[in-house]
Amino acid sequence: MNYEFNDIQKSIKENFKKFCENEIKPHAALLDIGDEKSVEILKKNIKKLGDLGYLGMIHEEEYGGTNQDLINFAIAGEEVAKACAATFLSAGASCGLCGMPIRLFGSKKQKEKYLPGIISGDIIGSFGLTEPQAGSDAVAIATTAKKKGDKWILNGTKTFITNAPIADVCLVMAYNDKEAGPANGVTAFLVDKGTPGFSTGKPFEKLGYRGSPTSEVFLEDCEVGEDAVLGEVGKGFIQAMQTLEFGRIGMATVSLGVAMACMEEAVKYSAERKAFGKPINRYQEISFKLADMMILTDLSRLLIYKAAWAKQTNNPEAAILASCAKLFASEAATQISSWALQIHGGYGYIKEFPVERLYRDAKLGEIGEGTSEIQRILIARDLLQKYGS
Amino acid sequence: MEFGFSEEQLLFRDTIYKYAKNEIVPLCEEADLKSEFSFEIWKKLGQMGLLGLPFPEEYGGQGADVVTCCLAGEALGHAGVDSGHLLALGAHTYLCTDTLYKHGNEAQRKKYIPKLASGEWIGCMGLTEPGAGSDAASLQTTAVKKGDRWILNGSKTFITNAPVANVCVVYATVDKSKKHAGITAFIVEKDFKGFSTGKPFHKMGVRASTTSEVFFEDCEVPEENVLGNIGEGFMYAHQTLEWDRSALLAPFVGGMQFMIEQCARYASERVQFEKPIKSFQAIQHKLADMKVVLEAARLAVYRVASLKDAGYPINHLQASIAKAFVGDWGFKVTSEAVQIFGGYGYIHDYPVERMLRDAKLAQIGGGTSEVQRLIISRLLAL
Repeated sequence: MNYEFNDIQKSIKENFKKFCENEIKPHAALLDIGDEKSVEILKKNIKKLGDLGYLGMIHEEEYGGTNQDLINFAIAGEEVAKACAATFLSAGASCGLCGMPIRLFGSKKQKEKYLPGIISGDIIGSFGLTEPQAGSDAVAIATTAKKKGDKWILNGTKTFITNAPIADVCLVMAYNDKEAGPANGVTAFLVDKGTPGFSTGKPFEKLGYRGSPTSEVFLEDCEVGEDAVLGEVGKGFIQAMQTLEFGRIGMATVSLGVAMACMEEAVKYSAERKAFGKPINRYQEISFKLADMMILTDLSRLLIYKAAWAKQTNNPEAAILASCAKLFASEAATQISSWALQIHGGYGYIKEFPVERLYRDAKLGEIGEGTSEIQRILIARDLLQKYGS
Repeated sequence: MEFGFSEEQLLFRDTIYKYAKNEIVPLCEEADLKSEFSFEIWKKLGQMGLLGLPFPEEYGGQGADVVTCCLAGEALGHAGVDSGHLLALGAHTYLCTDTLYKHGNEAQRKKYIPKLASGEWIGCMGLTEPGAGSDAASLQTTAVKKGDRWILNGSKTFITNAPVANVCVVYATVDKSKKHAGITAFIVEKDFKGFSTGKPFHKMGVRASTTSEVFFEDCEVPEENVLGNIGEGFMYAHQTLEWDRSALLAPFVGGMQFMIEQCARYASERVQFEKPIKSFQAIQHKLADMKVVLEAARLAVYRVASLKDAGYPINHLQASIAKAFVGDWGFKVTSEAVQIFGGYGYIHDYPVERMLRDAKLAQIGGGTSEVQRLIISRLLAL
């Protein structure tokens, strides 16, 4: 047992903190506007993170990655998220949700085609699982893949796809054999932008993460070759579920980053703002809220590190620990963002102060990568299997 | 970072768990119901070496590190040992014996540690007073030098183990004007003239641990029973906080695991509206919340322990986080456990009733949740 950072982890923390504060954070408010200009900034941010090595931390050396411990990735990710949650989300959807399954299940040819670009930030990836009628209930997806000669014909609609409007490639999950059920009948396809029959919708107007574009994806007799199949035919759903374990740690990490940004703003503001003759942090109503922020962020971080450690070491509890981390960190973040806004009073309600954006961003943590409700179901199911009569 | 336990540690934990389940747990419910400290349980704890875990073998201890002490506490809680006896163990080992060991001279160590580590003697710590709880430095018990003796006057309250203790580490001031720098620790034996204890309090929870006032009426303490240096007592008392916020919390972590298992089993057996209540999401969600709190609590407690083992001085931020979280969130999920059991959770036949009463103490003892937040907010550089 060891709760200390090693030297590499210490330097990751320090380097990313400095870099993100200088290079990412100053653009966060502009990114939040969510217009054409924001997209340009986002792409630049992703490229910068590629140059810094962030996007390759979870990838193999031969494609340009550094193949690091997942804890290291979480340490860096917290700093990225704290500076700009939207940038974290888009970067993570590309190198993680899209890049990780390519690493785990892709052929050498597919890895060579996509990973160096994903790692450098020149290629942006996306992950297409969710559909209008299939969110938490992912097995209910309706997109189909039909074999026709040596081609696959994809039909269906995906929605809430992070990066879709800007992505070069989308990993699409579709039923190739509905009879075989989700465990054996879903296949994952790597569909390039520009493939005939593939198109994306208008970016959604969102509550938060406005700098990270999200849209629908339409597949209308979209034709892809055999080489677009990721791994084994029929194993797409299992691949997606494994990917989501990483995604949950990622969602927990971005929640922590948002919560940390909220805490920092609240600490700063409450020291400056005076009421009834003294700084408001002298009132326990305020200072105890700050203490609770500290408790919740600190424990979120420990849960994230433990989930990352468990995943890294193939611990049998890894999936459940990822759910625990995601559930705790995301609910902590919405609570903390609400306290932080409250501490700012009227100023928290206007865009001049970052907590207005952070409050909107925080909410996604409880929804993306499996809602809080789904996490609780997964955790309870596991407990009942182990201890229920 | 590495969150696993060694094979040896896991084996130790499993051994303690099995022993406690078979030998100790069957005696606990009755002791709690009667609000009685069980000397039989105490003897069994002593036989397993659990009353002197962290002390060197030459003094009759087991030479265990802090993580291992926590594992023992967790295993005992997980087995279902009541928090009363575990509090008695905690106060005895970590608040009394460890202070004696850490600051005692060789003669004092030789005289007291073996007896305490075996469980032949029971120890307690006397810090809190009627007018000095969270604000411990304001204590009023005085010690005045008279020849080769110190004369103690004052009273202590909420002293765990006092009614059954053979020896008490007492904090008294030799000079009130110096405030905390006047506080000095004394080793006071039960038979010393002028030392007496009050009637055991009727408590909400941890009922099998006995608690009372302690009175000093011209209590005579020989010079050789001054513990450590004059004026350093407050620091010694402060050092016990490391234990308050690690090994003393570990039984609550184990208790949460015990509670989860109890709830999962009950929810599977209890049928309402023609199906086991585990199939209702409202019940499932409570279980899930318990698990998340358990995981976070475990991390917080073992972090304090592990860093203490690595030789770091106490990190007050991390220690207070552990204490506040285990206290507040532990109480919340224990209340949900009672809710899962419904009416049965409200009666003594099921252990969650006792656990809710016990869990309340974790928000109060060893520094209230409010004091933890005060410490945390100060450390946030406000």
